[in-house]
Amino acid sequence: MNEWLTPSLKKHWRGLLLAAVLSLFALLCAAGLLFTSGYLISKAALRPENILMIYVPIVAVRTFGTFRAVFNYAGRLASHNTILKILSEMRAHLYEKLEPSALYIRSKYKTGKILSALSDDIEHLQDLFLRTILPCCCGLIIYAAWIAVLGFFDLRFACVMVLYLMLLVVAFPLVSLIRMRHHYQRIARSRHELYEQLTDAVLGAADWMMSGRQNQFLRHYEQLENETRQEERAVSSFRKRRDFIAQVLIGICVIGLVVWSGNMSHTGALQPTLIAAFALVIFSVAEAFVPLSEAVERVPQYERALARLKEIEAPAQHESHRSCTSQALPKGPLTIDVSHVSFRYTPNSDWAVHDVSLHLKPGAKLALIGRSGAGKSTLAHLIYGNLKPDAGEVTLNGLSTQLLGSNRSRQFSVLSQNPHLFDTSVLNNLTLGSPEATFDEAVAAAKEVGLHQLIEQLPNGYHTQMHEAGAIFSGGEQERVALARTLLRDTPVVILDEPTVGLDPITERALLQKIFDTLEGKTLIWVTHHLIGAEQMDHILFMEHGRAMMQGTHEQLLQNSSRYSKLYALDVPVRLRKSIIE
Amino acid sequence: MCTLGAHDNLSESLPSLSMDRELLSYKGAKPLFAVTALLTVIQGVCIIGQAALLGRIVSGLFSGGQIASVRSDLLLFFVVLLLRYFTVLVIKQACYRFAERTSANLRKKFLKQLFASGPELARKEGTGSLVALALEGVAQTRSYLELFIPKMAANGVIPLLILGFVFWKDRMSGIILLLTMPVLIIFMILLGLAAQKRMDDRWASYRVLSNHFIDSLRGLPTLYYLGISKRHKKTIERVSDKYRSMTMGTLRLAFLSSFALDFFTMLSIAFVAVALGIRLIDGHILLEPALIVLILSPEYFLPVRELGQDYHATLDGKEAARRLNAYAASKGSNEVTQQSVQNKMKWNEQACVVLNGCDAVHEGAHKKALEGISVSFSGFEKVGIIGASGAGKSTFIDLVGGFIEPNSGSIKINEIPGRFTSDQWRNQVTYIPQHPYLFSTSLRGNIAFYKPEASDQEILRAVRAAGLEDLIRRLPNGIDERIGSGGRPLSGGQEQRVALARAFLCERPILLLDEPTAHLDIETEYELKQPMLRLFEHKLVLLATHRLHWMEQMDRIVVVRDGRIVETGTPDELIKKNGVYHAMVRAQLGGI
Repeated sequence: MNEWLTPSLKKHWRGLLLAAVLSLFALLCAAGLLFTSGYLISKAALRPENILMIYVPIVAVRTFGTFRAVFNYAGRLASHNTILKILSEMRAHLYEKLEPSALYIRSKYKTGKILSALSDDIEHLQDLFLRTILPCCCGLIIYAAWIAVLGFFDLRFACVMVLYLMLLVVAFPLVSLIRMRHHYQRIARSRHELYEQLTDAVLGAADWMMSGRQNQFLRHYEQLENETRQEERAVSSFRKRRDFIAQVLIGICVIGLVVWSGNMSHTGALQPTLIAAFALVIFSVAEAFVPLSEAVERVPQYERALARLKEIEAPAQHESHRSCTSQALPKGPLTIDVSHVSFRYTPNSDWAVHDVSLHLKPGAKLALIGRSGAGKSTLAHLIYGNLKPDAGEVTLNGLSTQLLGSNRSRQFSVLSQNPHLFDTSVLNNLTLGSPEATFDEAVAAAKEVGLHQLIEQLPNGYHTQMHEAGAIFSGGEQERVALARTLLRDTPVVILDEPTVGLDPITERALLQKIFDTLEGKTLIWVTHHLIGAEQMDHILFMEHGRAMMQGTHEQLLQNSSRYSKLYALDVPVRLRKSIIE
Repeated sequence: MCTLGAHDNLSESLPSLSMDRELLSYKGAKPLFAVTALLTVIQGVCIIGQAALLGRIVSGLFSGGQIASVRSDLLLFFVVLLLRYFTVLVIKQACYRFAERTSANLRKKFLKQLFASGPELARKEGTGSLVALALEGVAQTRSYLELFIPKMAANGVIPLLILGFVFWKDRMSGIILLLTMPVLIIFMILLGLAAQKRMDDRWASYRVLSNHFIDSLRGLPTLYYLGISKRHKKTIERVSDKYRSMTMGTLRLAFLSSFALDFFTMLSIAFVAVALGIRLIDGHILLEPALIVLILSPEYFLPVRELGQDYHATLDGKEAARRLNAYAASKGSNEVTQQSVQNKMKWNEQACVVLNGCDAVHEGAHKKALEGISVSFSGFEKVGIIGASGAGKSTFIDLVGGFIEPNSGSIKINEIPGRFTSDQWRNQVTYIPQHPYLFSTSLRGNIAFYKPEASDQEILRAVRAAGLEDLIRRLPNGIDERIGSGGRPLSGGQEQRVALARAFLCERPILLLDEPTAHLDIETEYELKQPMLRLFEHKLVLLATHRLHWMEQMDRIVVVRDGRIVETGTPDELIKKNGVYHAMVRAQLGGI
């Protein structure tokens, strides 16, 4: 079958079986109640002298009546317990599959919408068990049991019933499945289109308003919506008609059964007391067959959920690169050497980084500058060691970063844009990467990054849940939380991957100042798109098309490169600066 | 997101018997109710007829009758059954039509409102939630309307009819059925409430636990950098398991209410059967009425059992309908077009607009976003709007762009009272935000969005002016390449160039820009500045930005702080004044 379903089926078949047996018993009890009731009153109508003659059916009626509810309750608990176990395993499995491409998750699964979709898909699969497999199993077993009971009295009639009920048990579900798959695909397609259109309408509302084309949009949308509506109406009518025909078929079945039992009792092959029993029970037996069509009709939904889960590609080679070894690092202050490193994402693409060399002494401060796509982030990742260079080598104290393995996170911290604040307490968020940190250390770090006062003002201070505090933390403050995490981890190297993008200049300045102050003495590798703060770095590497286009200190570049000075003037307009200083 | 089974199953047990008043206000609801009620009565009569006929047939056969003797009854039974399910079909069909029509109307109103309130609404509510409301919300409303009406009718009519009939046939059984119903409902509600309370008590923990997984996926890069992403799988398993045991604890209670439903129904049927049996022996009752009563008793409980079935869907639908209604009812900007004013609003070198004491309040906010704005712009001047984040720069641009209405104050355009929300004004304005929206259509369609009838040549000119030729040359389908959410992703700089091309193409005399370059890398910003300056020519330009380099190209600067205009003047004047502007520039340029 499939990596998502097979392992859980194998592991939990007992639980599922128990759930199925219990639900089956519940159904049997319901049928038994009606059967014995019919029998009971028919028997009573014969006016036996002694009430003891109907004692057994009386007890049976009461027992079935009571146990139906008990079995149902137990069955539902058993099935939910098993399903929740399976779900939790599937979640872990999904996480495991996504984890290797952790760093690419944002670009691959853009908005996080797909992540929720994946997680929803797993939720969907619980319906596969609860709403499809269980009812189908029960329906089929009831079918077999019913035929067996009839066969006990009359084989020929049982054969007729086998064929007749096949209509409900096999033909209807099959037809539903085929029809629904067809409709479902078209509905999914047109809903996707509607979704796109609506997103265009909401996000592009300003443009629609300004262009005065609102009515045009509304007309077009209405037309599209109409098509979907027709499709949905067809589905709904199909269901309604199907249910109608199913009820008519059951009606015919009842009539057939009454005629048969009447005839049988006339010839003496059947006790007359059973006529009522059969006439009553057929309703509840047939009720077990009607949901089959609905259960099977859901299959396309599961298929889609499974297909999407399957689509989680195996991570590309460069993503999954992980060395198994985790060699200890030679002691001493950390020196980073990048020698003639080249890298490309696929063998045929352009070089993302081409022949770059660097030497970073302990405590060095490097700024990587360039337009988006110039290779500055790729270079940072190569230094971090989660990308493997196609040529050249990156070494820490002479040891290739590739061989660091899980020791890597002890050497490097990364401060990226939009750090994720987890839905747990503020304190847990601060100590996320350093579980051994004490409360006092966390407070000290918060003080250092200038968050202490803000956190103290929260309803529960450091123990406030992040979702309550979320709105209070602005972009700059979220970045400060990440900075505090970094401080607590106290690694010798910190990579700053555009941490200030999206902040206004004054906040940006203040944050950068805070970063540089608190990380004083550590090796900094700063990927940036602005030149504000560049003057504080020891070395600036300007990248273009993967190559080091120019490098040097801020002063050198300002003097020697007109391009650099032009760009710097955008951040620090010369005239304005002069007029301020004067 | 991951509410799991707990919530669904829980609420299933709490049938709502409350009547929704809003429901009746929809067009066609009242006649539909009447028709449904009538048809339900027919359905109820059919159910009784069906039982009566079956009882007669079976008791006839039981007492040794021939099949031939019951043939006409059998035929009649079948006809009644057909009629019963046919009425069900008609009710469902009618309700579906009504639900479809009503939900479509709600959606239409909602979309109209969306365009009337524009980006403000999206900002407040979030894009995702609005799109979901228009798609899923409308579907939920539909199924709510579709399910609710027949269920209400069935519950109001069928048990009463059956009960009346049973009383007539056999008082004893009638009493059993009558007594069971309130007991059943009371138990269901009590247990349901207990479960709900348990749920509420643990709500906070539920929320954290159920969000944990998706939260982990979102934060995966962070976990990776912290070196704990591998270990975190264990945490996920642990939390998931904790969630399971917690959910099971609640479910044990929640399922009790459907247990009560099952238990009392079945027990009541059993009681009816046994009581009938005993009285049959005594000869107090005959087989035929006994059978009829027995056949009817499950039917008596059926509507209540069905009520709980789609309760969750009903609840969601009710909520969605409420929200849609709220939007549909909220005030839209009414567009009054005065033909005479049209030409006089035209913007040219001599035109001028005067704002006097304008206030703006964001819906739901306490503080005014803009307060007492009095300023004027004239001709083709270039005005920089400066201020800290949150000071009201964007709101000001929104005001002039006509995305929001001022709450008070007056606006005069060319000395005639006018409104920024009027089409005449909007038609003269181009708006470029920080992240211009790219529609999921071709690049050409995006460029020509404001001017769909533009010729190839005009488009080509705009493409050149915006510096998009390089990009187009590299795209496999050239200018017909699909971009936007479904197509090829563009970089921030390229997006901004598309917006510039749009602006070049439609040549409107007023240009509003809201922080157009701050998010770009500095080289891209540098390259974009030249075409932007060309675009500024012969236009009134209002540019809200933090980036100081733009100041050198501005004729005038308006400094906003806390929703008020605190300084205006030429850049040099303001520097000399040594006020707010001076302080801001100093803060930005002061060495780190």
